[in-house]
Amino acid sequence: MLSFTLRRLGQSSVLVLIMSVLVFFCMYIVTDPVAVLASDDFTEEDRIALASELGVDRPILVQYFQFTSNILHGDFGTSFVYNKPVLPLILERLPATLEVAILAITIGLCAGVPMGIYSGLNRRKKITKAISFITTIGYSIPNFWQALLLIIVFAVWLRILPASGRGDTTFLFGIGWSFFNLDGLRHMLLPAVNLAIYKICMQTRLARSGTQEVMFQDYITFARAKGLPRQRIIRRHLLRNILIPIVTITGLELGGLIAFSTVTETVFSWPGIGKLLIDSIHHADRPVVVAYLILITLMFVIINFIVDMAYAVLDPRIRHT
Amino acid sequence: MKIKLVILIITSIIGLSSALSAENLRMAYSTAPRSIDPFPYGGASTAGYKEHVFEALVAADDSPLLSTGWVWNSPTSLTVNLRKGIKFHNGADFTARDVVYSACRMMYRVDGKRNLLTSSMGPISDVVEVDAHSVRFETKNPYPLWIQKMKFLSMLSASGGDVPSGPITYDAEGNCGINSYPTRDDFENGDAAIGTGPFKHVSYSTESAVLVRNDAYWGEKSIWEGVEISSVSNSGARMAGLLAGDYDVIENPTTEDITALSDNSAFAYTGKPAWRTMFVVLNVDPKGAPGVSAPDSSAPLSNLKVRQAMSLAINREAITDRLFGGNATVANQFAPKYRAGAPEMPALEYNPEKAKALLSEAGYKDGFTLSFNTPSDRYPNGVRVAQALTQYWSKIGIKVELNSQPWSVFAKARKAREMGAFFYGWGHPQGPAQMISFAFATRNADLGLGSSNYSNYSSDNFDSAITAWAVETNSDKSNGYVAAAMKAAMADLPGIPVYYTHSIWAHRSDLKVNGRQDERTHATMVSYK
Repeated sequence: MLSFTLRRLGQSSVLVLIMSVLVFFCMYIVTDPVAVLASDDFTEEDRIALASELGVDRPILVQYFQFTSNILHGDFGTSFVYNKPVLPLILERLPATLEVAILAITIGLCAGVPMGIYSGLNRRKKITKAISFITTIGYSIPNFWQALLLIIVFAVWLRILPASGRGDTTFLFGIGWSFFNLDGLRHMLLPAVNLAIYKICMQTRLARSGTQEVMFQDYITFARAKGLPRQRIIRRHLLRNILIPIVTITGLELGGLIAFSTVTETVFSWPGIGKLLIDSIHHADRPVVVAYLILITLMFVIINFIVDMAYAVLDPRIRHT
Repeated sequence: MKIKLVILIITSIIGLSSALSAENLRMAYSTAPRSIDPFPYGGASTAGYKEHVFEALVAADDSPLLSTGWVWNSPTSLTVNLRKGIKFHNGADFTARDVVYSACRMMYRVDGKRNLLTSSMGPISDVVEVDAHSVRFETKNPYPLWIQKMKFLSMLSASGGDVPSGPITYDAEGNCGINSYPTRDDFENGDAAIGTGPFKHVSYSTESAVLVRNDAYWGEKSIWEGVEISSVSNSGARMAGLLAGDYDVIENPTTEDITALSDNSAFAYTGKPAWRTMFVVLNVDPKGAPGVSAPDSSAPLSNLKVRQAMSLAINREAITDRLFGGNATVANQFAPKYRAGAPEMPALEYNPEKAKALLSEAGYKDGFTLSFNTPSDRYPNGVRVAQALTQYWSKIGIKVELNSQPWSVFAKARKAREMGAFFYGWGHPQGPAQMISFAFATRNADLGLGSSNYSNYSSDNFDSAITAWAVETNSDKSNGYVAAAMKAAMADLPGIPVYYTHSIWAHRSDLKVNGRQDERTHATMVSYK
């Protein structure tokens, strides 16, 4: 167990290092923060002074080593644009992204898994065909287009949900959350559903194919022969066995949602970290982009780790080898 | 039946809580204001937002605002008389001491970083409190443009931070004997966001800002009790928010969206010609330009006939009518013709036949190759205009390759002078010579000329007019120099003007928007019909 953890840690730090080099140098080659920040009526002297204050006038290798040594001291740098420390800038937007991602994943699981099991068990029913049809559509319509449809139907035609923004937040542990008040929830619903549609479709398919596979296994036949009630077979024998791929995918998808729900956040003007990433790329705000991607890499590493742990809990065979 | 009832109840509950309060104005900006600290950032959205709270000595249209007028004592000394009886939001009187304090805070490097607006104060050598209601600005070189640039110097109350009592002595480092200044956080959490403007600061974040009416305002009080400014960068989301009733006014709807609005009686739009000229920059360097090549390895863009041909090839009316549906104005010079002080110039001809003839006269009968660059995410319809220009030039025989890139990438290539021809826009809040003085003058660090001369243009005629303009404090004479410089530039065409943009606001149809020309959005523009 310990050696497994240590090996994981070693691999992760190499991964983070490669990531930081790639992003840092790409941003350096492609963009120039002075060119983006300086207005047209800057004199040449103003531009030179600005470059030296941002620290971008030094050779790129010097900049990179300064940056890494700062990170090892816990300092992720200062945003070129906002002139604020990067870490709090990202962390203060994290709750907004987290709560939408968690709501979306929950909707995905709660709707997708039952639908998938139902389809797997009742392959010839009309409802199954309808589910299959709907999930195919949900899969194939692009995310941003779904978002626009949701806005047109629920915000413009029906006028029952707001089209953008985050609404009121309730403070808990010094952080504003939308979960705990009606206005916040109303604002959260459309982006969460937008993110959830794809998840529902995927979970449905995963659960269906798992169910179809497991239902023909000997132990299910045996359980049936033993005369166990159908409900018990589904809960104890079927569900447990189809959960492993579902847990894996849920873990990865949660990471994906937190890191890259940029399209949804942009369309709904949801003030999460995805929108921060897009804005920072537009403004050539290198410290924010690099720190963001490093944090995201770390997050994926941690999520994978938790997923591996969850396997061990779900499947005794993994625990014992 | 039951389900229907439940749905009905749920929708009515949700619907109720979204009922809007009539006296609040909710606006959606297309770009997020970066701070309520008035000095670190330029840009129309930050400026439009901060003007709700802070005012300057000079108004957007160059008229006196917190002042009653000014006198040039000499070309390097200006006395400004302050308006009396003005109070800050904290009740303090506005006096000359506040002007000196504000100038000091502008120059001071908060957390070691200069304010991006500091460049406007570059030539200022001293700011002196003459008496309680007059202040004198001394400059290193003649700096008549200071009248326009005073707009950047928002007036703060000298009570912010730790300020010793007594007069404040200005210095260019901004230390001024002041023990400590309020930080950006102090502004953003409201402690220091104290101005003289028609609204008071309530809260700020990059996504949304809340303001409340200043009932003790010295000028005409706003009809809006409160203002909410949201920032929605995606144009589709902005329009959806308007249609959904989340906003009352939005900035910059797309051309398609305003066409669709005409079928909807609940909404309308208002356009206003803005002080922004869209033009093509041509690198006229005789040694050649990046991305431009001719079979005989000459430098085509350095040839005046080629540049004239490129201008003649453009059907400007087709661009403003078809691509903008009339929401743009044909440009015949580099400063918008409706900007006060801009000269009268003749209309530019559209004549592709003549263009072809000129091109072959110049020795490019078989054309030449041109890489034409445009930012992809900066100007409304910008890429489409660039495509149209590409086609016009292709028609007269130039092989044009259009290269459209995100602004952050484009800006770097421009600064590194890696582009021989590119599409660009320049605003004119500081008068009709704002663009040409930076873009076409030979570089002159003392007078602040030519720092963005990407055309590599240098002309004695133009330079003599523009250097005379740079030191002329008499506005009639100054306008005369602008006219002379503009004539020289239009004769030589180091760039090709195409159109002037219009600012557009989409809004509820029971509202009226009295738009501004400086691309800013302010609650006082909006009233009931």
